[in-house]
Amino acid sequence: MDLQLDTEQAILRDTAERFLAERYDERTRQTMADREGAWRSEIWREFARLGWLGLPFAPDDGGSGGGPVEIAVLMEAFGRHLVLEPYVATVILSGGLIASLASEAERQRLLAPIIDGRTVMAFAHEDRGAPATATPVSTGYLLSGQKKAVLGAPLAEALLVSAVMSGGGKGVFWVPASSPGITIRPRQTIDRRWAGEVAFDNVTVPGSALIGANADAEASIDAVIERAIAALAADAVGAMTVLVTATVDYAKTRVQFGQPIGRFQALQHRLVDMKVKEEEARASCLFATLSLLENAGLRRRAVAGAKAKIGRCARAVYQDAIQLHGAIGTTDELPVGAYAKRLIAFESLFGTTREHLRRYAGIIADPQVSAAALLGDGL
Amino acid sequence: MDLSLNAADIAFRDDVRAFLDAQVPPSMRQAYDLTTGLFVDPDIAIHFHRALYRKGWSVPHWPVAYGGTGWSPVQRYIFEIECARTGAPAFNGAGAHFVGPVIMRFGTDEQKQTYLPRIRSGDDIWAQGYSEPGSGSDLASLKTKAESDGNDYIVTGQKIWTTFAHKSNRIFALVRTSKEGKRQEGITFLLIDMDCAGITVRPIIGNGGDHEFNEVFFDAVRVPKSNRVGDENKGWDVAKYLLEFERGGNFVAGRARASFAKAVALIAARCPEDAALAARMAEIGTDLDAMEMLELSVLSATQTGTNPGPKSSLLKLRWSQIRQSICELALDAIGDDALAWIERRPLDEGLQLPPDDESLLAIGPRYLNSRAYTIMGGTSEVQTNILAKLLLGL
Repeated sequence: MDLQLDTEQAILRDTAERFLAERYDERTRQTMADREGAWRSEIWREFARLGWLGLPFAPDDGGSGGGPVEIAVLMEAFGRHLVLEPYVATVILSGGLIASLASEAERQRLLAPIIDGRTVMAFAHEDRGAPATATPVSTGYLLSGQKKAVLGAPLAEALLVSAVMSGGGKGVFWVPASSPGITIRPRQTIDRRWAGEVAFDNVTVPGSALIGANADAEASIDAVIERAIAALAADAVGAMTVLVTATVDYAKTRVQFGQPIGRFQALQHRLVDMKVKEEEARASCLFATLSLLENAGLRRRAVAGAKAKIGRCARAVYQDAIQLHGAIGTTDELPVGAYAKRLIAFESLFGTTREHLRRYAGIIADPQVSAAALLGDGL
Repeated sequence: MDLSLNAADIAFRDDVRAFLDAQVPPSMRQAYDLTTGLFVDPDIAIHFHRALYRKGWSVPHWPVAYGGTGWSPVQRYIFEIECARTGAPAFNGAGAHFVGPVIMRFGTDEQKQTYLPRIRSGDDIWAQGYSEPGSGSDLASLKTKAESDGNDYIVTGQKIWTTFAHKSNRIFALVRTSKEGKRQEGITFLLIDMDCAGITVRPIIGNGGDHEFNEVFFDAVRVPKSNRVGDENKGWDVAKYLLEFERGGNFVAGRARASFAKAVALIAARCPEDAALAARMAEIGTDLDAMEMLELSVLSATQTGTNPGPKSSLLKLRWSQIRQSICELALDAIGDDALAWIERRPLDEGLQLPPDDESLLAIGPRYLNSRAYTIMGGTSEVQTNILAKLLLGL
């Protein structure tokens, strides 16, 4: 049992913090936010140079073999600096699926351009209406269906898309985003990231587009979404940390009734409440992060629980951050609004707080599960 | 990072389980299940304590030189989890957790030799004489006075909310030895025998029906100066050292999880379709997971020598609230059965109902009793003041 960052993890944390503090300023964010579909990010290539785009992949695949903790460390820094680049879409989701499903040859071919920053990808998974289908034809497959809220889609050169196979299982296909029959309707999200509705209208793909020739990829899809949720949880913790610090600092400097408002006990108690929620969210995120190395049952429980718990804490924190900043907190004059929106996005992505709370309730309703200690019981 | 036990820790856990299986008989588990107060009656808990003493495990957290086990923090954590899982009763925390460490740090050699072995063996049961009728959260305003008279102090005044004073043979008390200067600088820490002439104990029955608290009156009680811990007028430093243990020193996750699992089992048996209750159960479950992780993080930091600092106030604040919420969850799970009440304490004495029905009867009183969690050991509001100052610099 050890819950401390090791030396290399601490270096990663410090490097990320230093780099983003220097390089990821408001203008960089603005450029990224305004750039619909026209993907030319200098900062993305720097991410590649720093090794971040290959962080979770095996050294044999050209990555640096980082685990969930390394990803969480990086994502927390992204949350602190409101990084808008499609890291989760490209590296965690798309790269993660390729790493888990693909053959060695496919991994060499598809991961290399992700790792060196040439290719941005998105994973089109959640269906709008009936599930997308893959119909076998002589040349390969015909893909049809509607995918909603696909993170990073307008920026992506290639898509992974999940579709129901004729055998009933799900496959994951690699397709160029420019393929005939694909329509992407760009949508900016509340926190100024890019997502899109993606329609597949009889898109022809070769048989080799089915990643790993695997017609039963559901478990891998679930696992990679759990990793995305844990990564976004760390991002949310980073954003909460900034909000709490900013609100405490504001209370120390804003003078009313002849003294800093942080001297008033009613406000002190609310600030402590925010800080406590940040600490609980961090602990919950750590549980989800470490669970990714464990069995599917523990992963489901920890990830659903963390999504619900952090969603609840995040909402309380940004609401109080706005309240304690007073009128200025309701505008975009200060970063409070941008951080609040980042956290609202977290509440909605990959299942809402309420959906995950329901899922968690179903898991924990078994008294044996609820009785198990987090340390050593391995449930 | 990892959240797993190594082979040595797993072997240790097996040893602990075997010991507990042998030493915690069903009658003791039942007493634990039906205890409505925070602590199992010392008359029952002493039997488990004696078994621990024979095994050499009665004060695991003490330095080995004083009879501690030398366990790693993780092993102590495992021990606590297994005790909670089994329903093993805790015994005399005021001795082993509060005054013991204080005597080790500030006591004379004679005090160490006199008192520490008797805490280990269970021969002494200690009560904590801190609060007074006019001094609750504002402890430093305490008035019980100790006047110098040759080699003795003459102690006069009143303590209140004294847990198990009626079962204790000793009490440690904060007394005023000076009215000069800052209030904190006139306080002294004394060890007092409960059988001294002039001490009267009067019970206070909680609204949960339990007799845990007492008033303790001191009427010109003669206490030898050799019973003073630390210097005269330096008792506040001793008190603050002790409060660190009261607020942070022990592990809570095991007990909290055991009571949560019981509430979950009640819901599964009685109202599995209640969506509102299921949502509340899930919220509390996520709170519990987070706090257990936070407790483990603090534990992990102590392994590398980091002091928990203000985190101990954070843990006290949230654990007390979450443990309350678990008692509340159980109350809601039994619905209108919460109306039933019997006065008899302990509930299992002269048991007439099937154990299941009896355990339902414990839920209402326990819920009421749990309201004290956020008051004792420093109220939530005081903890929040401390956090504002130490954690946020406000």
